[in-house]
Formats: sequence, C-alpha cells, structure tokens
Amino acid sequence: MSEYATRPQKRATAGTERGAQLAVPRGKRLWDRTWPPLLAVIIALLIWQIVVLSGWRPEYVLPAPLTVGQTLVGQFGEPKFWLAVATTLNRALVGFAISVLLGSAIGIAVSRSRVLRSAIGSLITGLQTMPSIAWFPLAILLFGLSEQAIAFVVVLGAAPSIANGVVSGVDDVSPQLQRVAQVLGAKGMSMYRHVMIPAALPSYVAGLKQGWAFAWRSLMAGELLVIIASRPSLGVQLQFFREFANAPGLLSIMLVILLIGVLVDSIFSSVANGVRSRRGMGVVRL
Amino acid sequence: MTLSEAQATATILQSAAIRVQNVTKRFGRDGQQTVALRDVSLTVKPSEFLCVVGRSGCGKSTLLNLIADLDRPSEGFIDVGARKVGVMFQEASLFPWLTVRGNIDLALKLSGVPKDLRADRIQELLETVQLSGMGAKRPHELSGGMRQRVALARTLAQDCEILLMDEPFASLDAITRDAMHEQTERIWAERHLTIVFVTHNVREAARLANRVIVMKPAPGRIGSQFSIDIPRPRRMEDLSVATSAADLHELLQEQEAGHE
Repeated sequence: MSEYATRPQKRATAGTERGAQLAVPRGKRLWDRTWPPLLAVIIALLIWQIVVLSGWRPEYVLPAPLTVGQTLVGQFGEPKFWLAVATTLNRALVGFAISVLLGSAIGIAVSRSRVLRSAIGSLITGLQTMPSIAWFPLAILLFGLSEQAIAFVVVLGAAPSIANGVVSGVDDVSPQLQRVAQVLGAKGMSMYRHVMIPAALPSYVAGLKQGWAFAWRSLMAGELLVIIASRPSLGVQLQFFREFANAPGLLSIMLVILLIGVLVDSIFSSVANGVRSRRGMGVVRL
Repeated sequence: MTLSEAQATATILQSAAIRVQNVTKRFGRDGQQTVALRDVSLTVKPSEFLCVVGRSGCGKSTLLNLIADLDRPSEGFIDVGARKVGVMFQEASLFPWLTVRGNIDLALKLSGVPKDLRADRIQELLETVQLSGMGAKRPHELSGGMRQRVALARTLAQDCEILLMDEPFASLDAITRDAMHEQTERIWAERHLTIVFVTHNVREAARLANRVIVMKPAPGRIGSQFSIDIPRPRRMEDLSVATSAADLHELLQEQEAGHE
C-alpha cells in the first residue's frame, strides 16, 4: 500500500523536472549533457599522456594518445579493418538476435508456468553469474573452431539476461493494475496483450541492454580464443597486433571495441529512458 | 416456503440491484483461517447510493471485491442479475503506458465497443468528468484528482449499472474531494447508477448516501443501518450532514465499545 502512496509524488516531481528542462533552449540542454563525459574523456587522455611522458614504459609498449589516434585514422583506410569490423558486428548481431528470440521465449514460458519456474528459474540466474569464457573449451569441443562455437557462447551469455528481464517484468506488474484490468474485462490473451506485455516493457528493455553487454563481452572473448583462419575480426586484429608487438595498432582496436560497445549501449539507454519517461518513471542516466 | 414468503422473495428479486445472501468469507488455510465476513446479507435497490462505513479491517473491501466478482464467497451467494459492475479503487491505477484517451479507449475496447464508435464515446466520457482537452496527457502528468476522474471515466466506459467505489477519494485533498463528490453525485443521478461506496469517513458517507451500513469488525458483519434523507444537493459543511455524521460516529464508537 505504502508503495502506491509514494508513487504519485515521485511522478509529480519527474513531471516538473521535465517541464523545467523544456524551458531551457535545446542547444544548452545538449551542452549540459555533453560536457561532463567530454571532460572525463579529456582528463583520461591527459592522465594517459602524463603516464607516457613519465617514461614508466617505453613508447613502443605504451604509445601516446596522439600516436594511437593517428594509427586509428590510418586503419580507416584499410579494407582489412572494415572487414574485421563487419565480421565482428555481424557475429554480434546474429548472436544477439538468437539470444533475443530464445531469451524471450524462455522468459515467457518461465513467467507463465510455476513448474518451469521452480525447475529452471534459479538456473537462469545462475547462468548469468557464469563467466562466459568458461564455456569456450566445451564450445570448441562441441563445434570446433567455428562460427557456431562463438554463437553458442554469445547466446549462453546474453539469453539468460533477456529471459530474466521478461520474468522480473511480468512478476513486477502491479497486482492492482491486473485487478483493474480484470474488472474492465481483460482475461487470458487480452490481459497479456493489453496489460502484461506493456507493463513488463521497461524491465524487458533493461534485460535487452544487459543482454547486449554480455553478448559483446562473450564475443570478444570468443574472437580471441576461436580464431578462424583467413577471417579477420576485431579479436583477430588484437591478437595479430600483439604478436607483432604493434602497440598503437592494439590500442586503436581496443578503442574501436570500446566505442562500439558504448554506442550500442547508449542506443539501448535512450530507448529505455524513452519508455520510462513516457510513463513518468525516473530516467536512468548512464 | 409459504406463499407470502415467496411473494416477498419475488419482490426483493425484482427490486434488488445487488443481493448478498448469507455470505461468509474466510481467508487462509485450515488451522489458521481468518473470517473476514460472517453471514452478511444485504440488498441494494436500483439507483440507491449506499455507503458502507467501518474501521479498517472490518471487511468492507472484501465485501466490495466479492460483489465485483474479484473473489468468491466461501459460503452464501451474491446476485447482481445481468447488470454490469464497474469498480473504482483508492488508487486511480491508470495504465501508465497509455494516455488518458488510451486508458478510456482500452476500457471501451475490452467492453467490445467497435473502433469507429470509440472516438465519440471517449469525447463524451471526458466531458462527463470535465476533462475534455486532457485526452493526450499521460497519467503522471495529472494531479491526483484528475487521475481519479480519468479512472471514473474509464469505469463508466463499461456502461456499468452498478458502480462499486472503494475509498476512491481517501487520498485527495479536501477541496478536490468536494468537487469529486459533486461530480459523483451528478453522474449517479444522470445515469441512474446503483452505487456502493466504501469509506471510513462518516462525514463523506453522510454527504453522499441514501443509506449507510455500519460494519463491525472481527469477524466482519453488518452492525446497523442508517437512512439519510437529507435533501440534495448537499454540501460537506451542511449542518444536517454534520449532524448525521455525528450520529454515525457515535454508532461506530458504541460498536467499538461493545466489541472490547
């Protein structure tokens, strides 16, 4: 009961905050949001530069930011780099798509059936805590050094998070809303379609976001371990630069991996925040 | 059953919008059961405005849930005929992912109103609760009183003849509540609704009801009934309302004393 009593107040404040934001010109709002991360990046680069200047490691092991930047720009001109990015993104996309299908299906099944829930509910949570890299020896035994081995581990990494998002979303649908819907005549499929699915959406999107993070991490581990001949990927590039002791190349690839991860994550964040703010829930900034 | 008894039953059947017959409701499993309601019988006439008062835990909401068919009685039965029943709760409980319009639209859709008729009905319902122009707002952008009005419009979208209200205005400020009382009274009269209104506020009961039922706790049963014949329109500040409220309050306290 108390939970309901406090909620309207929270909503009211969220509304005023947004109202106040709208009054500020758009450019200023954008700037307000951009400068803190921008400053953080500048500080990070500065620290990096200072460490390099301190001579803690020779420059051929730890190159300066500018050198890495130049190498990165140089990479942009090479077809092999773009081929690597394409291969990796393709794997991520396929693996994530399978995870979404599988995770959603499992999530819906578990949320609907009490037997399934007690059977595999805790297993799903358990799987999440399992480091995905621990799956690779088995995956290699099962599938050899192949695309399937990588996809297998990516899916195992991401699907449990997505399934969990569905389950906790359905569990958290307020009983009061369900009662109201029941009085309004919703039952069975119409209850699912009009109430349960929309109510579970914020949690589902959060699950997708976490699933993506796990998929991306598993994929990177996979690309370092499962190296398929004559198929360049970001992971293979990393290995390649390490073997040739090309530190600027190595760091430039790492930057690319970081950037792709952050970029996709920010897309999920903005979708999640859109969903949340439309219902007056607090916006989570990241 | 004698002939006169049968006739009496038939009259009750005809003249009752809601009939609650010897209803007992128990919760929990064997051994540690609690009796929420014991042997409650009650008849509500069509177009009656009935208030149910009593302290918390006396089974008021349980009774309402049973009439709404959200729960089943352990013993006895409840008959509302073929009448449609709408329910309003203390929280507006609007669907937060839908706009005001969307909330009402969903209620119409679930009642089987065809799509091409819904837009007009939504407009009409918004006018009824004096919220025309608010259709595009989201629930979190509205004040507590507005949200409750949307909830009322959503309930009315079902075209219900019986309206059950479970302390719907308990969390509103006094001024908003006064306005809600006026609206509820007006809609009750316009639509010839049968209303069962649960509250712990005796003044609210005296303001709204034709008849008040006072419930006793542990186990919940009907203590006494009270007819309120103050002419309408009434106001919270009316002396007659205050007097009735004082009488009700006394009755509640007597029951409390008897209970201890």
